[in-house]
Amino acid sequence: MVKWYEMPVGESSNVIYSRVRLVRNWSEYPFPGKLTDAQSAELTGRLTDGLRGLGSLDGTNYQFSCLDRMPELEKTALLERRIINRGISKKQAPAALILSEDERISVSLNGDDHIRIQVVEPGLALGGCYRLADRIDDFIGERFEYSFDEKYGYLTSFPTNVGTGLRALAVVHLPMLSRRKNFQSLVADMGRFGTSIRGIYGEGADNFGSLYQVSNQKTLGQTERELVDLVTKTAAELDAQERRLRQEAIRQRELACMDEVYKSYGVLKYARRLTRKDAMEFLSQIMAGVADGRLKLVEPCSVYGLMLGIQPANLLKTADRLMDKEELDAARAVFLRTRLPEIK
Amino acid sequence: MLCEHCKMREATVRYVEVINGVKTEHNLCAQCASHVDMGQYSALFEGEFPLGKLLSGLLGIEDTEQTVGQYAGVVCPVCKTTYEEFVKDSQFGCQDCYSVFDPLIGENIKQLQGNERHVGKRPQKPGMPAAGTGTESVGNVPLLSPEEQVKLLQARLREAVRREEFEEAAAFRDQIHKLKEETESHGEMV
Repeated sequence: MVKWYEMPVGESSNVIYSRVRLVRNWSEYPFPGKLTDAQSAELTGRLTDGLRGLGSLDGTNYQFSCLDRMPELEKTALLERRIINRGISKKQAPAALILSEDERISVSLNGDDHIRIQVVEPGLALGGCYRLADRIDDFIGERFEYSFDEKYGYLTSFPTNVGTGLRALAVVHLPMLSRRKNFQSLVADMGRFGTSIRGIYGEGADNFGSLYQVSNQKTLGQTERELVDLVTKTAAELDAQERRLRQEAIRQRELACMDEVYKSYGVLKYARRLTRKDAMEFLSQIMAGVADGRLKLVEPCSVYGLMLGIQPANLLKTADRLMDKEELDAARAVFLRTRLPEIK
Repeated sequence: MLCEHCKMREATVRYVEVINGVKTEHNLCAQCASHVDMGQYSALFEGEFPLGKLLSGLLGIEDTEQTVGQYAGVVCPVCKTTYEEFVKDSQFGCQDCYSVFDPLIGENIKQLQGNERHVGKRPQKPGMPAAGTGTESVGNVPLLSPEEQVKLLQARLREAVRREEFEEAAAFRDQIHKLKEETESHGEMV
């Protein structure tokens, strides 16, 4: 089955995808940090058994897997695709993952909290993500009594998640806006409105690919809807600003802008060796070029899917053998060369 | 303000160092700050920071030795998380930790979250009991309006005094005091 990130995106938005995650705990057990291995195994087993019927909610097919028995490479690849978080990927104790076939929906069990529901949608669609996450939450809540408190709401291991347990997040591609001198002060200002923004692959100039995630900082004292709306508005505003800047740049120096995209395409199509940094930066150019119509491909292509595919663990998984750095760079070039469609 | 070290990026970290009474101030960006030794706060700027340390910093639990000494005896009776552990990891051990540690760190959570009360979704399951927060349910006072809670607690206080259970009475008195304070501060906000 095609994964959500492999689906070509039709619209020309700079918002790559939206994600909502909810964390919950089952009132019968201490939080994961205080569980013995035996308790972890029991909790994970009981939750997994209770959620076997999750697919009955809307007919989605789910795969159930034990994370503690999964090979490290597989786990790192899931981490690169942002299906599981770092906390659970490093965990030795029993933990499980329930993942839909298209990888849009996942429920991690016994990570930092007992239950972590995640729903992803391409583009700016946080409302839709929340509605689905909410239904899954109700399904689980009918079977397992949540730790809930009148004052603090849903109780979580970390006080940074308490209340709604909700993190609404949008990934935005900001190649131009992030290069502006005032970007850092914009980042600082956003905190005052209750959102935070950070580079997915690093900070500042080290964030190869210029993908940024914007999310709500606070989880307590606001309704889920307010939080989702806040992040939606922020992401839409960032998208609009980036769009304005790019249109202005194209208007002023059209040839230079076209040249950038076509050169990047040429390198990705013909290079025999590509580091992750180079590949990400050229793909970022392609992503922008496709979004604002400077580059027309004969068939639609998900550039974000390519960005995930060239991360080391995913590349190793595709190749199905161990490789040193040089071989990995060569494999990355092959991966992109074969998948990048021709130009119209 | 630009970072005093690289002079390129916006300074987002203000670091005040006091050594032998001499105070020096630095304004740095996150990248440059990560190269400066700032004790437990260095963790804030490292790529892979221990979340606990970061949160303790955010929660404003700074004067670690002093507060830990003062509250060292506070232990969650259910999961045995100590106050010291909480300061170290900023992580609760179980749902009951919230009521146990609420009097000590409630203010910090309020600062961190900008709010102190959940207003969002509630579990749908009927008869869902609240886990108790140390404000509403101590002394087994059910979820009543603040005024009703005060009345009920006053009755319990009188009863405790009559039985000469003075420790219990003192706890009720403190509860009443706290509730009244809370009601007043809410009133001002409205």
